[in-house]
Amino acid sequence: MFPDLIVKPLGLKELNKILPSLPKDRKFLSGGTDLVVRANADIENSQCWIDISGLKELRYIKENAKTVLIGSGVKVSDFEDSSIIKKHLPALLSALPQFASPSLRNMATLGGNCANASPSADLACALVSEKADIVLYLKGKKRKMPLKDFFLGLRKTALKKDELIWGFEIPKINHKGVYMKLASRSSFAISKIGLAISADINKEKVEYLSIALASVAPKIITAPKTRAFLKNKKINSEILDEAALIIQKEVSPITDIRSDGEYRRAMSGVLLKKGLKQILVKF
Amino acid sequence: MKNMNILKSEDGLFEIALKINGENKKFKVKNNEFLLDALRRYGYKGAKKGCDSGDCGSCAIMFNGKPVLSCMMPAVTAHGGEIVTIEGIGTIEKPHAIQEAYVEAGAVQCGFCTPGMIIVTKHLLEKKPSPSDEDIKKELDGNLCRCTGYVSQIKAVRIAAKKMKKKGKK
Repeated sequence: MFPDLIVKPLGLKELNKILPSLPKDRKFLSGGTDLVVRANADIENSQCWIDISGLKELRYIKENAKTVLIGSGVKVSDFEDSSIIKKHLPALLSALPQFASPSLRNMATLGGNCANASPSADLACALVSEKADIVLYLKGKKRKMPLKDFFLGLRKTALKKDELIWGFEIPKINHKGVYMKLASRSSFAISKIGLAISADINKEKVEYLSIALASVAPKIITAPKTRAFLKNKKINSEILDEAALIIQKEVSPITDIRSDGEYRRAMSGVLLKKGLKQILVKF
Repeated sequence: MKNMNILKSEDGLFEIALKINGENKKFKVKNNEFLLDALRRYGYKGAKKGCDSGDCGSCAIMFNGKPVLSCMMPAVTAHGGEIVTIEGIGTIEKPHAIQEAYVEAGAVQCGFCTPGMIIVTKHLLEKKPSPSDEDIKKELDGNLCRCTGYVSQIKAVRIAAKKMKKKGKK
């Protein structure tokens, strides 16, 4: 159901001013590509939506010496042209063309992708592998936490009432990255499984590694045991086979409308091997 | 447009201000009305209702300079925005170079997907005046056609790129 009240503040000041006067059962609306679909299907029934797409404060891609800073309101298509993203966030860059369709990328935002907390969120998965922190905003105060801890479960996040996703802070770590996605079609489909790898492999030795997976658990997960196993090892086919077995034990996929649990488990190992090989060969 | 907050008006309708194809317009829309339905109700019937769930791309319009799916956008959230529909790109008497190219390439059969295709083609050629086939495929990804098999659309975009370059030189 759609709310009777939709407001569109054009700045943070305006938002803070009108917030107390709105019905208590309220939600933020960003790109709308998830929330609107859910309202259409009568799963989402809030009394009031606050459209934050007018908040210019949330639309920035910046960098300082050690960190890349991204606002939650940046449209996904804006990343495709950003030299900062190209230079520092290879796993996120690799996920972009695999995310929805070009027109939807002009609507959807990174903040929305995280707030929706779907276990199949491609960009959120890539960002977790990039070791992103999420910045939350409530009544003039900001707090920060690792993005992987922000997701609590299926469509559950650490957001408090009226708390807004302000943006993301991602450390600049020298690495390569890929996002591997399996879906029913090569594009414009929700993932059966997604796997993001950020890695620095020097002369086949894994010096830095971060792994995140989508659609294999109730939320986006990391694979700490696989990471620990691969760290400082030289990549060869035996090591890869062993790592694939470990990651298959770290995932807990279910069978649902898109895929089969056992298939997803098997593919987590396959995608890990493929992804690491891609990083070795491509870069 | 000083007061940009939209609040429920007394008769249950929101009044939104839009700039459509260069003209300032005011629409009265319901809370659950999508931009596509509002546009069609107000006579902009170029944008088509295909799947009505964000899958097919035939409702694509330019919103603030970029193609979006109007079937997924609550009309209220478009308040204050700038819209270009297919009607703003060309007319039967004076078609746009892209429209001519689609006709020449035989990329129009039933024509239902064509307005959306032309909107995304325009966006592509604005970004990349000489796109590769790969660029074209990537940009048209998300616009479905059930008649042609996409080969003729790719050809149409190539022809359009040439036509627009020629026009640019003149």
